[in-house]
Amino acid sequence: MSGSILIARHLSKVVPSAEGDLQILSDLSLELDSGASLAIVGASGSGKSTLLGLLAGLDLPSSGEVLLAGHALQQLDEDQRARVRCAHVGFVFQSFQLMESLNAEENIMLALELKGSSAARRRATELLERVGLGARLHHYPRQLSGGEQQRVALARAFAAEPQLLFADEPTGNLDSQTGAHIIELMFELNREHGTTLVLVTHEERLARRCQHQLHLEGGRRVDDGAAP
Amino acid sequence: MKAIPLRRILLMAWRQLRRDARAGELRVLFFALLVAVAASTAIGYFSARLNDAMLLRASEFLGADLVLAGSAPAEARQIEAGTTLGLAHARVVEFSSVIATDEQIQLASIKAADDAYPLRGELRSAPAPFQAEQPGGGPRPGEAWAEARLFTALGLQIGDLIEVGSQPLRLTRVLTYEPDRVGDFYSLTPRVLMHLDDLAATGVVQPGSRVRYRELWRGEAALLGRYRQAIEPDLQANQRIETASDSNRQIGGALGRAERYLNLASLAAILLAGVAVALSATRFASRRFDASALLRCLGLSRREALLLYGAQLAMLGLIASAAGALLGWVAQAGLFVLLRDVLAQDIPPATLWPALAGMATGLVALAGFALPPLASLGRVPPLRVLRRDVLPVPPSSWVVYATAIAALGLIMWRLSLDLRLTLSLLGGGLLAIVLLGGLLLLALRGLRRLLAGTSLTWRLGLGQLMRNPLAAAGQALAFGLILLAMALIALLRGELLETWQEQLPTDAPNHFALNVLPADKDAFAARIEALSNQAAPLYPVVPGRLVAINDEPVRALVSKDSQGERAVRRDLSLTWAQELPEGNRLLAGHWWQAGQDPSALPGVSVEAELAESLGVTLGDRLGFSVGGVTRETRVTSLREVDWDSFQPNFYMIFEPDTLQDMPATYMTSFHLPAGRDRELVQLARDFPSVTVLQVEALLAQLRSILAQVSLAVEYVLLFVLAAGLAVLFAGLQSTLDERIRQGALLRAIGAERAMLVRARRAEFGLLGAVSGVLAALGCELVSALLYRFVFDIAWQPHPWLLLLPLIGAVLVGGAGLFGTRRALNASPLQVLRDG
Repeated sequence: MSGSILIARHLSKVVPSAEGDLQILSDLSLELDSGASLAIVGASGSGKSTLLGLLAGLDLPSSGEVLLAGHALQQLDEDQRARVRCAHVGFVFQSFQLMESLNAEENIMLALELKGSSAARRRATELLERVGLGARLHHYPRQLSGGEQQRVALARAFAAEPQLLFADEPTGNLDSQTGAHIIELMFELNREHGTTLVLVTHEERLARRCQHQLHLEGGRRVDDGAAP
Repeated sequence: MKAIPLRRILLMAWRQLRRDARAGELRVLFFALLVAVAASTAIGYFSARLNDAMLLRASEFLGADLVLAGSAPAEARQIEAGTTLGLAHARVVEFSSVIATDEQIQLASIKAADDAYPLRGELRSAPAPFQAEQPGGGPRPGEAWAEARLFTALGLQIGDLIEVGSQPLRLTRVLTYEPDRVGDFYSLTPRVLMHLDDLAATGVVQPGSRVRYRELWRGEAALLGRYRQAIEPDLQANQRIETASDSNRQIGGALGRAERYLNLASLAAILLAGVAVALSATRFASRRFDASALLRCLGLSRREALLLYGAQLAMLGLIASAAGALLGWVAQAGLFVLLRDVLAQDIPPATLWPALAGMATGLVALAGFALPPLASLGRVPPLRVLRRDVLPVPPSSWVVYATAIAALGLIMWRLSLDLRLTLSLLGGGLLAIVLLGGLLLLALRGLRRLLAGTSLTWRLGLGQLMRNPLAAAGQALAFGLILLAMALIALLRGELLETWQEQLPTDAPNHFALNVLPADKDAFAARIEALSNQAAPLYPVVPGRLVAINDEPVRALVSKDSQGERAVRRDLSLTWAQELPEGNRLLAGHWWQAGQDPSALPGVSVEAELAESLGVTLGDRLGFSVGGVTRETRVTSLREVDWDSFQPNFYMIFEPDTLQDMPATYMTSFHLPAGRDRELVQLARDFPSVTVLQVEALLAQLRSILAQVSLAVEYVLLFVLAAGLAVLFAGLQSTLDERIRQGALLRAIGAERAMLVRARRAEFGLLGAVSGVLAALGCELVSALLYRFVFDIAWQPHPWLLLLPLIGAVLVGGAGLFGTRRALNASPLQVLRDG
């Protein structure tokens, strides 16, 4: 289907362990239209992050396939997948994952420059102002609070105008009030940019803000299939 | 609450150690310790045993380890003292006597030796004059071995009878080499060697005869020391003790320099390995903050947590040190096997001492460098389990640095046994670190501004350095230290070898010609010129004895057993010369000046060391007894003499025209390539009065000692390199966790591997280049100081050190990429796992 930005077919992930092979995901399929939002919900160990990693091309499935913006990820090597991510994908992580050696502005410029943007600095400044950190351009991550770091991470994620945003428990390391602000900001930016959102969370309330929910238990889909 | 039993904590520590080892956590710390201990042990063993080997070689020049020499036979108790200690003993009696054949007579210097002689080295002899020599053996009773020139002078053949006093002896072999005679150029007469049992029958040695008795001893150093202590207090006035270490100038100088070099190189290796231990111990501690906090939460007291990690480190230290000591032992043993042809065969076996000292070095380094970060583990607040940003209160930095420096100082002092060298290296090092570190910090701060406009690759790579300029300066200093140590050791090695090569060039004179009669002088000089392109001038020699200094009898002025005493006890070779001879350097006074007052006393130039021993200064009057006449002179200059030059050297050089009326002979030295023995025989036949001494054996001996020293020097360089690599990887390892995280993140947001490689290259290349600049500066500074104060070598700038920044960029850049390759290949999935 031409409107689908993300398609997964029969994804399985098996990892070897001391007690034999461990099935982390089994036979999972989904299809997500451009501009839609999907929440992947489940308890700890249900395979949420593994699925996110496979969908974003951070890892390869043991079987099955992922098509991201038309690219069959399992046929690409790591560098080629990196180029796909660079072109189409943004990330927000639970632990912010900012470069400690770069200041707020440079962290955002990083994503732009990887894409070859010429006006990286101007765009970074705009985005930081957009997330309310216009006065903290030159602060390093360790000089920022958790909420501020996550705002920088959001600005970085949207900087390169990705078609797809993957967010892994974005409020997991924040207090509820700060978390709520971050979520608001994320959905606002998502709307403004028309980005497709894949959100991993264990909070049902947050999940309900997405158009679709995918429930995982022991590596299997347990929802009614209403999700894509 | 009840404390946890010590046994359980130790058991826990052991289990934890095994788990960490399996997980590869301890690799770098283990390797750093291993190198520190192995280097210290191997160098300890190597220098101790090499020293023994070289002393053995030097002992050959004495024919023994210790000699009791005197003009009267040694007393029975002096002999007994040695034999009861179990020392090997040989006896030699030397005197001059006329050798008579049916037709002619010739003055010869006779040596009567027992069967045990020599105790070190071997005699060499040939079946006929100028034929190939063979080692071993000695004349049996009734036999005599004589030098070829006696055969020439008296027209003798093998099998002929000669008479020494009233004892006829049959000539059975030609004596070519006595180990204890080389370098003794003053015995102008040909040598005859006979058996001691025949001595009494000759009737030559009577009370009052001029005879030299030598009691030769061989044994372990400790026993020799005891023997020396036993006999030294009541030594007779005519007796003195000679040992290998004070017997030879040429070897002494080379040995001293080699020993100082080995010391310095091992200090460098230990220092580098110590830094590696420090870096990896810090990482060991910081990676255990979480676990430590958890253990505190689970109820471990601060003391117990500290004990747990302390025990873990101690166990690791003991295992790594033992393995390092074993490795060091194997390394030196292997080297001695490889070198068995070069080194003397009977080197005493290695003792346990260097291994124990090596282990102690490792443990002291670990304690000094690892205890401060370890102490912070005990202070990890349990709150860290909830909040990862809570770090332990750092111990006072003074405590940290003082402990580490104290440990370093202790190790360096133990190794070098030279407090001045240790303090100056430590002090100089600290000063350099503070100064260079300050400059570096300023430079890095300036770089930040410059960097704002550069490409992403550079900003990523250098951002790593900029983020923490203090850490970056520290790293540059550490890498600079490695480059400095390696460059310095390589530099010194080259220049020491060169100095030694110059000391003994391949065309160094290997023959001395003595006793050239004035009538033969010109003809002989022409012959030598035709034979050799390396010949010294012919120097006149007049035997004379120093009898008075400023009218005081000289014997009353000199102290016993001093160089001065030895010089006044025998005839000196006096000479005169218009020009200052080659290899001589004027230290005080002036050389002859034209138009001097003819009524003034004739001038004499005195060798500086002898002058010092005699207490003679410029202007002093010296009285010489020459041919029964006393000659008064005045000291007009003091000279330094290069005794290593194998040129004729003189203690006393007279002003020209002051000794010309005395009967003189001439001497010279020249180089004759090997295989021209026939021409030498012809020379001896054509000039029968001339004594030609071959010093090839001495030269060969010296060369072989220098070869050993050079080898040792190169071998030690390997350890310095290993230690340098240990530091490099320990330094990289300590930042690896952060790099892996960053690598994964960059990959996740779409960076290609090639870009990460470029960024790393920029970072490590610049770090290496900066380290190289520091190393080049430091190396010139340290080498200038060392050359001047330790090695006594003239210093010149070393332009090739300018290559160090490039070498640093390539080396650190390459090692940096290799050491952090895990960060380049980190799976981007890791960012999810961390999250």
